[in-house]
Parts: sequence; structure tokens; C-alpha cells
Amino acid sequence: MTETAVPILMIDDDEALAEMLREYLAPERLALDSVTSGEVGIHSLKSGDHRLLILDIMLPGTSGLDVLKQLRSFSDIPTIMLTAKGDDVDRILGLELGADDYLSKPFNPRELLARIKALLRRSPGGGTAGKRLQVGELAFDVSAQRVTAGDAVLRLTGTEFALLQCLARSAGSIVSKDELSQTALGRRHMPYDRSIDTHVSNVRGKLADAGVTNPQIQSRRGLGYALLVDDSA
Amino acid sequence: MNSLLLRIFLSFWLIIVLIILSAATAGFLYAERARASLQSFEVSDAMLEASESLQTRGRDGLIDWLNSLPSVTASLVFVIDERGRDLLDRRLPPPVELAMRRSGQPDMRRPPPRGPGNLRPARPFAELVSPDGEVFTLIVLPPQSAVGRWVTERSRLSFVVIALLASGGVSYLLARAISGPIRRFRESTVAIAGGDLDTRIDERIEQRRDEIGGLAQDFNRMVRKLQLAWRRQAELTSNVSHELRSPLARLKIALELARRQTGDLPELDRIDVETEKLDVLVGQLLTLSRLDTGQGEPEVVNLSELVAGVHDDVRFEFPDQDIELTQEDGVFVDGFATALRSAVENVLRNAAIHGRKSVRLHLTVDSSSAVIVVSDHGGGVPEDSLKQLFDAFYRVPGQSPGSGLGLAIAARAVAMHGGTITARNDDTGLMVEIRIPISAV
Repeated sequence: MTETAVPILMIDDDEALAEMLREYLAPERLALDSVTSGEVGIHSLKSGDHRLLILDIMLPGTSGLDVLKQLRSFSDIPTIMLTAKGDDVDRILGLELGADDYLSKPFNPRELLARIKALLRRSPGGGTAGKRLQVGELAFDVSAQRVTAGDAVLRLTGTEFALLQCLARSAGSIVSKDELSQTALGRRHMPYDRSIDTHVSNVRGKLADAGVTNPQIQSRRGLGYALLVDDSA
Repeated sequence: MNSLLLRIFLSFWLIIVLIILSAATAGFLYAERARASLQSFEVSDAMLEASESLQTRGRDGLIDWLNSLPSVTASLVFVIDERGRDLLDRRLPPPVELAMRRSGQPDMRRPPPRGPGNLRPARPFAELVSPDGEVFTLIVLPPQSAVGRWVTERSRLSFVVIALLASGGVSYLLARAISGPIRRFRESTVAIAGGDLDTRIDERIEQRRDEIGGLAQDFNRMVRKLQLAWRRQAELTSNVSHELRSPLARLKIALELARRQTGDLPELDRIDVETEKLDVLVGQLLTLSRLDTGQGEPEVVNLSELVAGVHDDVRFEFPDQDIELTQEDGVFVDGFATALRSAVENVLRNAAIHGRKSVRLHLTVDSSSAVIVVSDHGGGVPEDSLKQLFDAFYRVPGQSPGSGLGLAIAARAVAMHGGTITARNDDTGLMVEIRIPISAV
């Protein structure tokens, strides 16, 4: 049983919470390690043993956002951050810094479990087998979870890749936020949830940084997003 | 011009004008009396009298005569001896002294010029010779100086105008020196009452060494303490909310662990519901305390986009409600997007909860403000509840849902933008109007 358990790291200063969560997640074959400080957490993540990170943004000392910034310089590990309810700024910043999803604390552990499973399902190995997809300047290598524009490889997180891929499969037509959320985050789109918008904004930024002008992501307020390809180019 | 400035100004002016008037009257009366006695004073008579006194009693007689003159005329008559000094030892007026020096001292020992022995050279002033040969010069000044005549005759009117203007100017400056700082105090008090605790009295006023300077220092000290207390309270609320989070988070996990062991019990569901309520409340408290502690620098907010976004969210949360949006595009205000969003969101959610199917959200602009109107079909609230609707934890009697903080958050967020939020009943239900001063972009 323990041998097949998926190792997950939690960085949270509330040890009692981590202890209870470990007990809750164990029957789901998820092995939760926990550390209470950002520095120690970064150190453990460098070993690359874990497949998912749960990160409390409200850490004493090195803040969760700083941990995220450092983490993204060396790892694309799927990350769920825990934020304070009502603290939209931290949430948006976290998503911009490359967190895949968030939950506001206090959270329902069933909700956390659902999100962990969704992220793990989507991460490499869980995807459909090696298909190639070309949309405008973008070339998708699905099995390697890689997008290239010309010679340049776009550096996308797992969520961002899933999002762009989902848009690319329906290139030219509008994809609802709910569908994007289901595909990229493995959960329904929630009211007041800015995750999809922030992720799309991140992808847009990365496309612009790589000089990609075709295709472009268009937003349709109240409906969703569409990847528009200019075939005449 | 406020009334205090006007009152002080007019009082001082009146006093100064009264003083000028009474001084002028007294001067006029004095001058009249002097004129009367001068009229009865004939210079030639005086010379004869003086000559006679000198003839009969010598120098002492002349002194007695001088002393016997009425005071008004005495000040105009000088008798100067050979040493150039007045008999009564008075200081000679400068013009007299000048004339005396110019004409030189009368000198009887000087040999008489050639010619008949009774001839004397003309001198500017009458001279008296005593029996023992001493020569005195008698000077009678003209009754009015040239300056006095100029003032009284030619420009009496302009003198009055100058006096009025000068006194008026002085009075105005004095009045303003008092009422100016008071107006500044008033502005500060109003600002503080409006929640702007960064307001201070100018350093310029604070550095004055008078009572007003002292008052300014005390006032600023008071505001600083008030601000500190306010900040501490907001921090306390924030910290308490944060600290409540941790046990709540553990409680939720404990609940799920308990469910796993015992299965779904109605009691556990109840605990779940209550925990959720507590969670929402803590979140709202945190939002409220954040609004109180400030949000940094304001930025330009696209209110049209913001309102549309909130509309999407609330429609998503309440799919059964018919929530209709009408709005103008491109409405911008200076402010804090997060705070404005919670304001609109809380008002709209409130309407969606109580609205019975149909809610309207309307954004428009008038000359000075962006106006957001949310109206529902919920039948409204009792008239006497309208005012308290925006108080924290106030609940309309007979209505249950909600924590009682949503509209308080909206009111606080609107207030920090210098706007207003009002509620009234219309035909179908409650109508809440938010007005945010528009930015000059």
C-alpha cells in the first residue's frame, strides 16, 4: 500500500493541521510529508521526490509567494496554494507566479482531495498518447507536454499547457470557462473564481514574450476564450 | 466670507472708527476753544501789554505777563532774551530757532550805524528794550501751522477716506488672522469625521507660538492618538480573523475524519453548516478590517468591466435568478478595484438572495458620479430599517439569511471612495444606489 502511495509535500506552519490531513489523505494512497518553513520546503523540493505541493501562502518568515518564485526557477511541480479568504491579491499573485490552483483556508478536505486528484491525473503520464498538433506558429508535443514556436520552447506549467492545448483543440471556436476549468484544473468553474482568467493571462504573456502573434487568445466576456488562427498568414 | 470673520472684522472696524471719531471731535472742540481765545488776542495789544510790563517792572514784569496769558495763546508767544533763551525756559519751536539764528542776536553794544541816532535796522521780529537797556525779542507764532491748515481745509474728505481704508485693512487682517485657523480646524474636523485620519493641521499654524498654535498641536496630537487606536483596532480584527482561521481549518478536517468513521449523521451536517457560516463571517470580518486599514495608492478602475464581471459571477452563483444588467461602457473612477468589487458584489448578492427571481443592475454616469443602482422584487424592507441597513450585524426583522456584514462592507468600501450608498423602497422592492465620484480621466 505505502509503496504505491503518491508523495505530496505540504508547507504549512500549522503542524496539527498537517497531521490531521495526513491521516485524512492516507487511505487515498497519498503520502503527505509536511514541513513548517519555506526554506526547508525548498530544500526538500530540490530532491524532486514529490509529485505535488500544497503551499500555505501565509507562512511566517519566507512567505509562500517567495517560495513559489524560487520554486518555479527549478521545478514545474503541480502546486495548490492555500490563501486567506477574501485575499484576492495574494491569490492572483500566486496564480501569476505559477501556482496551478488555490483553495482558501479554511478548506473542505474533500475539496482539497478532489483538486489533488485532478492535478495528478493531468500531470505527465496521465495524458493521451503522443499526438502532435500544429496551430498557427505553435507546435504541440502532447506526450512530452511541450509547446514550441519555431525553435523556441515555451516554458509553461502543467496547467498552462493543458489550458493552451484545450484551446488549440477547439481552435477558432469559443471554449467556456467551465470546460477550460474541467480540462486544466479538473474541476468545475466556480463563481468569483479568477483562476482561469489569470492562467489565460499568464499564457498570453508567455506567447507575447516568445514573439508569437498567431494564434491569439481572444476573450469573450461571459462566454469564455477562443484561440484564433490567422490562416492567411 | 464666513460669519466669524465678518463679525470680528466689523467689530474691530467699528471700534477703530469710533475712536477716530471721538478723537476728531475732541480735537475739534479744543481747536474751537483755541480759536475763540485767539480771536480775542490781538498781536498789537499783546505787544503793548508786554512793552508796558517791561517798562514798569522790568524782566520780572515780562515773565509775569507771559504767565498771565491764557494757555492757548501762551503757547504761541515767546519772549527771547539776549542770550537767545525764552524767558519761561521753554524749548523754542524749530522754525523760531531757525529764524533767530538767521537774524543773529540783537546787540545793543554794537555802535549805531552812521546816520540819525534813532534809526535801527529792520529786524524780522519786534524787539522790546527794558529801562536798563536789555533787548528782548517778542515772537508771536501764527495761530495754525501750515500742516494743520492743509489737513483741515483741503483734504478733510480724503483724510477720512484714508483713515477708513487703513483701519478697515487692519481690522480685516486681524479678523482673518483669527478666523483663518478656525476655518482650517473646521475643515480638519469634517475630514476626520468623514474617516480621513491622515488629516493634520498645517505645520504653519502648528508652529505659531500663541494659543492657536497650542490648539493646533493639541489637535494634531489627538488625531494621532485616534489614528493609532483606530489602526490597532483594525489590526486586532485582522489578527483575530487570521487566528480564527487555523482552528476552523482543523475543525473542518476533524469533521471529515469523523464522517469517515461514523458515516453521515445529521449532527455532523449541522456542524458542517455552522462551521461554514463561521468561515464566511471570519472572511467578511477580514475584508472589513482590510478596508479600514487602507489599500495603498488608488488607481484608475474600469467600473464598466468590474460591474460586468460581478454580474457574471453573481449570475453564476444564483442560476435561478433573473439578473439583468444595463450599463454604459467606459465608466472610469479613481479607486481600489478590490474594494469596489466587494461593494457591488455584496449589494448584488443581497438583492439576489432577497430578490424573488428578478434583479436589475444598472450602471450610468451623471455630471459628477458613476451611479450603480441595484433594484429587486423582494418587497423591500420596513421604512425604519432603511437607515440601519448598512450597519454591521444589523438584520431586518423577519429576514434571516446573510451574516449582516455584506452591506456594511459595501458601505465602508463606498465611503473610502468618497461616495454615498443609499437604500429606499420602490414599488417592487428594495433599491440600493451607489454613487462614486467620477475621475477626471
